[in-house]
Amino acid sequence: MPFIIRLAALCSIWAAAVSAAAPPLRVGMELSYPPFEMTDPQGRPTGVSVRLAEALGRHLGREVVIENISFDGLIPALKTSRIDCIISSLTATPERARAIAFSEPYMKIGLALLVGTASPVRSAADLDAPGRVVAVKKGTTGHTFATTTLHNAKILVLDKESAAVMEVAQGKADAFIYDALSVFRNQRRHPETTHAVLQPFREETWAIGLRPGDDGLRGQVNGFLEAFRAAGGFAQLGDEFLPEEKRAFKEQGLPFSF
Amino acid sequence: MRLEVHDLVQRFDGTTVLDRLALTTGEIQALVLVGPSGGGKSTLLRILAGLDVPVAGSVAFDGQPLPRDETALRAYRRTVGTVFQAYNLFPHLSALDNLLLPLVHVHGLSPAAARDRVREPLERFQLAAHAHKRPAELSGGQKQRIAILRALVVQPRRLFLDEPTSALDPEMTAEVLEMIGELKAQGTQFVLVTHEMGFARRVADELAFVGDGRVLAHGAAAEILDRCSIPRVRDFFGRILA
Amino acid sequence: MPRWLAHLVVVAVFAAVVAAAFARVHYAWNWAGVWEYRQKFVQGWLTTVALSLAALVASIVIGGLTALALASRRPLVEAVGRVYVELIRGTPLLVQLLIGFYVIAGAIGLENRFAVGVLVLALFSGAYMAEIFRGGLAAIPQAQRDSARAIGLSPWQTLRLVVLPQALRLVLPPVAGQLVSLIKDSSLLSVIAISEFTLNAQEVNAFTYSTLESYLPLAAGYLLLTLPLSALAHWLESRVRFEAS
Repeated sequence: MPFIIRLAALCSIWAAAVSAAAPPLRVGMELSYPPFEMTDPQGRPTGVSVRLAEALGRHLGREVVIENISFDGLIPALKTSRIDCIISSLTATPERARAIAFSEPYMKIGLALLVGTASPVRSAADLDAPGRVVAVKKGTTGHTFATTTLHNAKILVLDKESAAVMEVAQGKADAFIYDALSVFRNQRRHPETTHAVLQPFREETWAIGLRPGDDGLRGQVNGFLEAFRAAGGFAQLGDEFLPEEKRAFKEQGLPFSF
Repeated sequence: MRLEVHDLVQRFDGTTVLDRLALTTGEIQALVLVGPSGGGKSTLLRILAGLDVPVAGSVAFDGQPLPRDETALRAYRRTVGTVFQAYNLFPHLSALDNLLLPLVHVHGLSPAAARDRVREPLERFQLAAHAHKRPAELSGGQKQRIAILRALVVQPRRLFLDEPTSALDPEMTAEVLEMIGELKAQGTQFVLVTHEMGFARRVADELAFVGDGRVLAHGAAAEILDRCSIPRVRDFFGRILA
Repeated sequence: MPRWLAHLVVVAVFAAVVAAAFARVHYAWNWAGVWEYRQKFVQGWLTTVALSLAALVASIVIGGLTALALASRRPLVEAVGRVYVELIRGTPLLVQLLIGFYVIAGAIGLENRFAVGVLVLALFSGAYMAEIFRGGLAAIPQAQRDSARAIGLSPWQTLRLVVLPQALRLVLPPVAGQLVSLIKDSSLLSVIAISEFTLNAQEVNAFTYSTLESYLPLAAGYLLLTLPLSALAHWLESRVRFEAS
């Protein structure tokens, strides 16, 4: 048999073996959370979490497939094995830890408030009063916080971050409880109608969501996170996607994890 | 009744259907209109019944001209009765309710008085047994006879019947014609459009042949049917009666 | 086999197939978590009932008036009806909700979320009702109106005594269908944060991570509304039927 055909046969066997041995890594995220999970103008997934997922894929030697799933559908998708892991700026909470497993945390973040300019709210303490209207995004830790601690305020549960921001900007809600970075970005887009209370009133950490019992993958992911941080990967992501926030937060003396 | 029609013109969508039609009858009880389809006889009948307003011309019954505005015409329609070829009755009501409807809602009778009035006619024409049925449960002949009754019970001055048997089979045609024959016998005035020449001969006081939007022949039924000199009319009867 | 038995058999077979599917999936059922939140289900269901009822009544009124407008001979009146129907039927309910609440309601000072939701839903359904009613009216043969004229009924009497009773029988099946759709469409009102049934079930899911245990009661809750409505419609249809049996 000519050499070239032998080589081609070998290559295809090897490719088949590799793909059989290393199935693609299906990563779930909701692509509506800039700059962490979003799409570029051509519609391709991009953002901090996407880069992180790609780096993880390279580390594991597996192809990465991004599954765009709405936030409150991520954990069910993981539990029913539609995806292998969640990299979607997912806060690790004890309640969630009962349902799924988490990697080591890779990011520290805090809950902050996007407040309407007409509202009397000045801090999280002002939220729990009759007549206050608080917007949250369905399924987030802000949603959980509001439902468990705010008993006097009216809670608006919105599907999308943009809807919740609009409620505040239009004065229909006093405040939107969300992570400090997003609050900062949204306030920049609505300078006339909102202001930001960025000092986190609640500290949280983000981690990668995994299926309980998938210890093999968990070990690999933790190993990756350690290596990635040591190589300055997170600092690079911060520079690429969050330069303004980095500068602004440092100026205001607010914690910035990347 | 004495009918006077002068220079009657009717148009639909630009087509002239009645072309300065003129007709004057004597003092008669029954006028029968015959003629080819599309010749204008139904159009004429609708105008006489107050359903349509002509473009031009005049119509008078017993010296009384027909009004031209809708409100006055509606008042006129309440004094006469009209029976169409089909779809006279309202399908969601029983035969009895169909009869009572004009009495109660148009002529202001109480429901009890209305029921009293229709009882005798229903029996006289052997329709009492069918009174509680819906039109869908009645035969074509029964429906038409109920329709005629409905026109009758409001005690109209005269009736207008537009080909009442054209949609019926021979047996039902016979039963309806029998009823109209009885109306003639009891003195009811009417204008009848029909293709039933035998019946027309028996029942008409005067016969008018309407074709091409005009009255082409008019007079005693026997004269027109047997001895008309106008070729057009003779041909028509020749074809029909052959 | 009597009809009710046949229906029962089919439902039982379907349930058996579904149960078998779940058994294979090794789903870890967690009914306790969902039971804790039963208040949310009840409140959400009641809200959906209130929403649907209000929008239902309003949409029938809107649809009826619009159908009359569409049949009007005055060009301006017919135009209002036609533009409304085409605009509403040609755009998604979601878009109408978002624009209706965040743009129009704000502009005219209508703050109450619930009221806006009911109004938008009623306008949405009303457009479809109008077409259903218009079809029903048009299906009444012109000969009927002729017959009514001939016996001296006024136009209003003709509508009331002849046209509407018959049209009612014709439109009953499609109207019932539209009302069932309305109940289901009410779930979309969650996008303007109205705390109706579906949103509440989704919230429970978000808190307990028990997807099926949240969504199965959700489906059951809707069936609880739509099945009686369908049954009522069938019963009404049989009562007002006037064709020969």
